[in-house]
Amino acid sequence: MASTIGIMQALISIFIDDGDKLRCINAGQARITFLLRPPLYYVCVSSWGEPESVTRTHLEYLHLQILSIVTASQLRRIFERRTNFDLRRLLDGAESFLTSLLDELEFDLGISTSSLHCLKLELNLRKRIAETLVPTGKTKEMLYVMLTVEGRVVTLIRPRKRSIHPADIHILLNTIKSPSISNSQASASWIPVCLPKFNPSGFVNAYISFLRDEPIIDSSPSSSSTDSIKDGATEAREPSISLICISGTGDFDYVKDWCEGAIKKLAVDGSLRALTKSILSQQTEYTVAEVGVPGLRHFIYKSRSQVQITFPVFEDPYNNTNEKRRLITLYQTLHDAIHAKSGQSEPLKLQYIRTDTESALGWITQPFELYIAISPLLPKSAIIGAANAVVRWVKKEESRLFLRDAPIF
Amino acid sequence: MSKQYQFKLVLLGESAVGKSSLVLRFVKDQFDDYRESTIGAAFLTQTVTLDDQTTVKFEIWDTAGQERYKSLAPMYYRNANCAVVVYDITQSSSLEKARTWIRELQRQADPNIVIALCGNKTDLAARRQVSQEEAKKYAEEEGLMWAETSAKTGEGVTEVFTAIAKKLPLTASPAARPGAGARASPGARQGVDLNKQTTAQGQNEACNC
Ligand SMILES: Nc1nc2c(ncn2[C@@H]2O[C@H](COP(=O)(O)OP(=O)(O)OP(=O)(O)O)[C@@H](O)[C@H]2O)c(=O)[nH]1
Ligand SMILES: [Mg+2]
Repeated sequence: MASTIGIMQALISIFIDDGDKLRCINAGQARITFLLRPPLYYVCVSSWGEPESVTRTHLEYLHLQILSIVTASQLRRIFERRTNFDLRRLLDGAESFLTSLLDELEFDLGISTSSLHCLKLELNLRKRIAETLVPTGKTKEMLYVMLTVEGRVVTLIRPRKRSIHPADIHILLNTIKSPSISNSQASASWIPVCLPKFNPSGFVNAYISFLRDEPIIDSSPSSSSTDSIKDGATEAREPSISLICISGTGDFDYVKDWCEGAIKKLAVDGSLRALTKSILSQQTEYTVAEVGVPGLRHFIYKSRSQVQITFPVFEDPYNNTNEKRRLITLYQTLHDAIHAKSGQSEPLKLQYIRTDTESALGWITQPFELYIAISPLLPKSAIIGAANAVVRWVKKEESRLFLRDAPIF
Repeated sequence: MSKQYQFKLVLLGESAVGKSSLVLRFVKDQFDDYRESTIGAAFLTQTVTLDDQTTVKFEIWDTAGQERYKSLAPMYYRNANCAVVVYDITQSSSLEKARTWIRELQRQADPNIVIALCGNKTDLAARRQVSQEEAKKYAEEEGLMWAETSAKTGEGVTEVFTAIAKKLPLTASPAARPGAGARASPGARQGVDLNKQTTAQGQNEACNC
């Protein structure tokens, strides 16, 4: 390990001395990708065959996650004082944020497409939940309020003048997901976190409540249908629903009371139950069969104006890790091409790739980006038809698939 | 006639002494051989019923022992009615750290705060570095409650919390929701100044939902 780091350092410094930027080295099957974010250097050796831009995005996220723990200005100060500082000392106990991010990066389509992945939900239910979560009273304490279900956003409420960068949301989602938070068995956590796109040099506070205590759900008035959930074929596991409230100030008693109040309201008006029921009955998922396009295997649709994506569940054969990785790498290659991310002379509107296992198309227009995979046996013309059919279907389902018109305050 | 009280309790102490494990044993009667270090602070509640039908509900803040969260502690202890300062009996340095916490509490917390010093991991008595006499003597000098526990076996855990519940001023107004909490908050940590930070980057890529 020490010698590997020595070689990396030597390579990086040769390029820095030449005033050049070292981006990557191709070495047979493997590619070594570098990302310099002084005072830190990131290096990745990969043989998956993903485009270089994808690896760089992954390294960039690793950097953002580190900033979320120590902030850019803290980092700078420490390394100004001691260039040989061992970063591990600062990250003590936070390793799980990095390992869970590494696990996530490979398959997280939201991160790959820099967009938000929302939970599919009935429009009215989403609206009712959002209205309950609009901060009232001392709104200065509140920056963002977000309800999530296992990494997917149900709603996101923000101040009128402040949007939120998808990268900050991904960092937050990963933070919640990492075992030190999600396995803590606590009903809530209050953690300082730096949202690097919001402000790389300061912390905000995140109050994270886990809505997993059954009594909340059972205590709601009409509990007659609980049995039907349990009898159903789906697993009767409590979905992990979290309420995240970001506060820029430190009045944590206020934030805590507000969150507890909001959760109670969600429970009392039945929306928490309705949400749980939708999740358990898998109405929050859809299969590619529902789209009704013969030969269609899978797709990702990105609404460019909403900066959100939607995609069906990964079914056979893509429920196998290797197959899924192959499909995602195909998507990434298309994404790279239509955005001209790897020094291509110009971006393409359409990119078609045919392999032994599927034919895939990437298509970018003003309102959307689409990545689809169909059976390789179908002619090229079929994929255009399939793409159009997917676009029509998404349009029809739009109100459930995407988070639109979330309240602002 | 039953009475109900509600008190805020904070756990302090060096990382890895077993604060989260103690709380988990107390609240869920569980123990994990491998626990992730706490980030920020975690909130849990548990109710204790005393012999005379009095119930005491603890609102517990289990804080992170890692150095980088040190400055957050005042936020949790400033409103606390009681504090459990934990050390690991197999690490004498952790008792030193506990002393530092106790001094800080004596200076900065509510003067009426009930403090318990708790030596955890008695199941590892073979590796003991902190003797009972030493810790007990120190606790007596400082007027603290003292106990030894094992979050792993459960030994002594409920006893500590029950003893605190008994010791807390039960003459206080029943269901005193604010406890000592209505006080002003001198130790409140200031977050970033949002007004100064209006330059959110990458506006064009921001979510438009
Ligand atoms: N043998 C033994 N191990 C224990 C006991 N209590 C905790 N541990 C172990 O000690 C380690 C640290 O325990 P935690 O409860 O996470 O410690 P903590 O004080 O909460 O640490 P931070 O969250 O980092 O401040 C874990 O691996 C526990 O399993 C105990 O009573 N006996
Ligand atoms: Mg802990």
